[in-house]
Amino acid sequence: MKKQSDFKSYKKEIMGAAHDDRLRLALTRAIKSFRANVKDALERFPHTVEMAEEVRQIKEKAIPDMEALTKQAVAAIEENRGRGYIARTAEEALEIIADICGTGKLIVKGKTMTGEEIGLREYLEEKGNEVYETDLGEFIIQKMGSRPMHILSPAIHVPREDVARLFSKVIGQGITEESDIAAMVGAAREFLRDKFFRADIGISGANVVAAETGTLFIIENEGNIRLATGAPPVHIALVGMEKLVPTLSDAYKVSEVTWRYANYTVPSYVSLISGPSKTGDIEKVTTYGAHGPGQFHVVFLDGGRTRLAKYPRLLQALYCLRCGACLYECPVFAVTAGHFGDKYFAGIGAVWAAIVNEDLEKAASIAYTCLTCGRCRQRCPMKIDVPEMIIELRKLLAEGG
Amino acid sequence: MESDLVPPGLTYLADNITSRQNILGVTKEQGARWAQGLDLPVRAETIFFAGCGYQYSAQLERLMSLVRGIDKSVIGAELPMRFARFQKKLGLNLPGIYSNVLSRGILPGKEEPEVKPLTAAVAVLRKLGLEPGYLAEEEPCCGAPLNHAGLQTRFAENARAAYARLKEAGVKRVIGIVPYCTHALAKLFPRYVDGYDLEVRHFLEVVAEQVTSLKLRFPRKAKVTYHDPCQLVRYLDLVEEPRRILRAIAGIELVEPEWTRGEWATCCGGGGGFETVFPELSGVLAANRAAELLETGAEIIVTHCPGCVMQLKDGLRQLKADGVEVLDLTEVVAQAMGK
Repeated sequence: MKKQSDFKSYKKEIMGAAHDDRLRLALTRAIKSFRANVKDALERFPHTVEMAEEVRQIKEKAIPDMEALTKQAVAAIEENRGRGYIARTAEEALEIIADICGTGKLIVKGKTMTGEEIGLREYLEEKGNEVYETDLGEFIIQKMGSRPMHILSPAIHVPREDVARLFSKVIGQGITEESDIAAMVGAAREFLRDKFFRADIGISGANVVAAETGTLFIIENEGNIRLATGAPPVHIALVGMEKLVPTLSDAYKVSEVTWRYANYTVPSYVSLISGPSKTGDIEKVTTYGAHGPGQFHVVFLDGGRTRLAKYPRLLQALYCLRCGACLYECPVFAVTAGHFGDKYFAGIGAVWAAIVNEDLEKAASIAYTCLTCGRCRQRCPMKIDVPEMIIELRKLLAEGG
Repeated sequence: MESDLVPPGLTYLADNITSRQNILGVTKEQGARWAQGLDLPVRAETIFFAGCGYQYSAQLERLMSLVRGIDKSVIGAELPMRFARFQKKLGLNLPGIYSNVLSRGILPGKEEPEVKPLTAAVAVLRKLGLEPGYLAEEEPCCGAPLNHAGLQTRFAENARAAYARLKEAGVKRVIGIVPYCTHALAKLFPRYVDGYDLEVRHFLEVVAEQVTSLKLRFPRKAKVTYHDPCQLVRYLDLVEEPRRILRAIAGIELVEPEWTRGEWATCCGGGGGFETVFPELSGVLAANRAAELLETGAEIIVTHCPGCVMQLKDGLRQLKADGVEVLDLTEVVAQAMGK
C-alpha cells in the first residue's frame, strides 16, 4: 500500500471547506449558472440525450478492449510520423515525458487531469524546467499554490474578488482588487502571450482519442490549447487509456456529448491532432515542422486502468467522460468542492483512490463521505451508477477481496 | 473477515441489527409500543412493515444529539469520523457509551408524538378499507444499514433470516413505509434470497392509487412544499405519487423549488448512517436543504422519511425558521381526513 492517509486531517479538511464562506460563495454562483446552461444546451440540442446512450454503448465496448485500442492508436500515430508510448505506471509516464523534455526548457501546458493525476507539472519543474499552466483556472491554481477543485473548472472554489487580489500581487498588469473579470482575463492573456511563442514544448491532454487514426480530440474554449499545441516546436500529449474509442465517428460523438453535459451548446474550439506539422509544398518533399510542432509525442497511461477494468461493478468508473456535471449535483461537493476527493472527486474519486492508486484508507474516507443519494447518476450522460459503485467499494473495503 | 475500515458509527448500527434486530439495540417492545390499542392483527397475509426509523425516532434523536455532542467535545473532536483502529487505540468504547444513554429510557410524553406518522398511516390504510397485520415484536429488521456499510455478508444472512421469519408468519404482501426498509425488502432482498416471493409496495403507491376515493380537506389553508427522500424518488421511482396525494387535498397549495424537486431533490444529508459518521457535515447539509425549501415560501415542509423529518427539523432550527413546520406526509393525509 502507498502513502497512508490520515482521517483526522481529511475530516478537518472537509469541515474547514464546509465552513469556508468564500468557497461557498464561489460554488453557489457556479452551480446556479451551470444548471441553467445545461438546461439550455440540452433544450437546444435534444438529440444529445439519445447520443449519450449511444456513447455509453461505445464505451461499454471500448473499455474491455483498451489494450488493443491503445496498440492500434500507437501504430496509427507512428504511421503519421508521431511517436506513441504506453506507460504502465505514473512513474513510467513521468520518465518518458521528462526524457523528451530534458531540462532548462520553457514549457506551456494545457489543462490535463491525467497530468494532475501523476503530478506532471511538479515533476517537470523538479527537473529544472519552467512550466506555465495556460488554462485560466489552472493558471490561478498554480499561482495560488493550490490544487484543482473541479475537473473542468479547477478554480471553481475561488470567487472573483480573490482572483483580483491574487493577480494584483503576482502578475500586476494594472490589476487591482476592484478590477472586473474581463480585466483579469485580459491581464492573464498579456502575461502568457509571449510564453506560448518562446516555449520549447507544449503539453496537453485529450478528451477522446480515435484509435483507427490516432487522432486526439481536445475540447476547449479559451484557445490556450490551440496555442500550446500549435506554437512550440514539440507537442507532448498525455492520455489515459480509458479515453480510446475505435473510430473517428465514435470520437466525435463522445466529444459532442462531453461538451453538452459540460454545459456548452458548442465549445469555441475542438482540435483534432493526429501527427506532427508537415508540408510538401516544395517539390512534394514531405518536411516536418512547418508552422506547427515538428515533433508529436503521445503517452498513453495505464496507471491502474486495466486493473480497474477487471472489476465488473466498478469498471463503469472508466466510462466517465469527465464532463464534470455530476459534481454540480453532489450535495457534499457543493460545500466542500474537491476536498471531497483525491485525484478525482466525489464518488468516482473513491473508486480511483481504491483501485487505481491503491490507497485504501483514502478510498474509505471518500467512500463513506458519499451520501449515495444518487443525484449524480440522474445527471450523468453515461448513467454511471455511483451509489452502486460506492456500496460495492465499501464491500471490498469492509470485507476484503 | 471484516476490516477496520468501516466507520464506528456504522459498525454500531450494524452490531445492533445483528444482536437486537433494530438499529439502536433497544428492546423490540419499545419499538412496538405505538401500536398498542390499535388492535392490528398479528397474523395476516398483508402486513404493515413499520421499520426502525419511525418506531425509534425518539431514541434516534437522542443518539444524534449524543453523537453531535461527542463530535464537538475535546476528547472526541474527531471520534465519529475515525475508524475503528483509532478508536481501539484510544481505548474508547463508543457502543458502550451510546447504549448507556439509550437504555436510560424515554421520558413519558416525549415518545408518543414521535410515532404519529405510524398511527396516521394505519388510520389512512383503514380508511381505504385495508386492515393490514403488524408483527410488532416479531417484525424482523431489514438490515439495510448493513448493506450501506458494506457488510454484505451479514446483510445477506439477515435478509435470509428475515424472509424466513416473514414466511413463517404467513406473510405474502408487505406495505412498507420507511424508505430504506421498503427499498431493501423490494429491491435488495431478491438479490440475496433464493425464491424470494413477497410482493412489496410502498405506502405511497397504495394511497396514491385510491386517493380520489378519500375526501380530503386540510384543516386550514396552507402553502406546502414537498421534499423527496432519496430512496423514494431515485431508488423506488415514486415521483408522482406523493404529489398526486398532496394535490388531492383541498386547502393545500403545493409549491416547489424550481430546480431541486422530484428526481433532482437535494439529499437532506442524513440516512444510511451518514449522520453518525459526519454529524457536523450532516448538519450543514440539512440547513442547505431546508434553505432551498424555504425559498418556496411554504409554511409546511412535507416529506415522507423518518431521517428526512429529523434532518429538516434540525435544518430549520439552525436557520431559526420558527414559523415553518415539518410534517410527515402520513400526518398531513390523516389530518385531512379529519382525524
